[in-house]
Amino acid sequence: MVNATVATMRPTRTDYYRALADSLPSQALVVTSLGNASYLWAKLHEAPENFYFEDAMGLALPLALGLAIAQPSRPVIVVEGDGGLLMHLGALVTVGAVNPANLTVLIIQNGVHAASGGQALTNAGLDLAQLARASGIALSENIEKPEALAAKMRDGTARSGAECLVLATEPDLDVVRPPVALDPVVIKHRLQAAIGAPRYVHAVFGGGKLEGS
Amino acid sequence: MNSVLATQADAHRPSDVLNTLKRLGFGAVVSVPDGWLGKMLVRIEHQQTMRLVRATHEEEALAIACGLRLGGVRTALLVQNAGVLSMGAGMVSLAQRYRFPLLMLVSYRGTPDDPVFYHVPKGRVTEPVFRGIGLAHACVDRHRPIGPQVEHAATFAEEASCPFALLLSREDIQW
Repeated sequence: MVNATVATMRPTRTDYYRALADSLPSQALVVTSLGNASYLWAKLHEAPENFYFEDAMGLALPLALGLAIAQPSRPVIVVEGDGGLLMHLGALVTVGAVNPANLTVLIIQNGVHAASGGQALTNAGLDLAQLARASGIALSENIEKPEALAAKMRDGTARSGAECLVLATEPDLDVVRPPVALDPVVIKHRLQAAIGAPRYVHAVFGGGKLEGS
Repeated sequence: MNSVLATQADAHRPSDVLNTLKRLGFGAVVSVPDGWLGKMLVRIEHQQTMRLVRATHEEEALAIACGLRLGGVRTALLVQNAGVLSMGAGMVSLAQRYRFPLLMLVSYRGTPDDPVFYHVPKGRVTEPVFRGIGLAHACVDRHRPIGPQVEHAATFAEEASCPFALLLSREDIQW
């Protein structure tokens, strides 16, 4: 029963999300992976600057990498699960190789596939921060308290590369109902509008190219 | 042979592909290389107006490309057809579901022009799989200039808000 006692001491995703919402950097873009990673963030901090994954497990991290490259003046924060990370572990290496200083990777380490019902991970006990450091993300550490996450997010010190924070988290298996419909195309368009991304002007309207290109 | 046909035949098609991407304002290329694409990627890496991101897996490359496009950068994927076969879930549940316009330049291995024994199984199923997952695509016509075909593929992707794969042969991309 020791393990069960230890497990109940871990903060919940809600605890970390409240800390994140309270400490979110100005102009930040937030990418959240599937399931409660998106539903709960939408419930606590719905905003046009959010990009919610509907499915596509394991691809939130590489999408956030692309977004961070495209928007170097904005902080980009991605919330990925440990299961999703393991599904595309190579993305961690690519993040380490590109190493954009505006990218913060938050890994919810709850040891299970929470979005699909709590099935066990292949290996729930990995030191993911060490794995991230070995992948080239020098600024990586394990976090056990929401306050520590908030302190990291408020730290305005200029960084030399991406940061990876692994959040020890209690599994949350009850599906959270988001406050709005998370229509994928709407989500995409409103984020692009929020950041002023150039629109494609259709050829019939005399365009055939992105605005400004 | 008249002068126009001679010019078309003599054109260095990989150069035309690269110049077309530059002219259309592509700011990034995401790739997992194969034997045909390798030197092209080195050329792209040295372009001042384009950024090359080398991914570890084609489905990861697809997601990086979606993120770049989400952030306002016109982006192309350069991968082998085997890579498209292995990105099916990301293709349907991310790129197509969110309607990301992406130009995919795909080396078409395992065709009668590339009868390497281990590529043949991939070549045999490439187009049926593309049709199965609803991936819009076309094969390059080697008798026509490559530049306009790349431009048409890129334009289709934007007009239709979807990925579009242009299947390329060796002379189109191998520098």
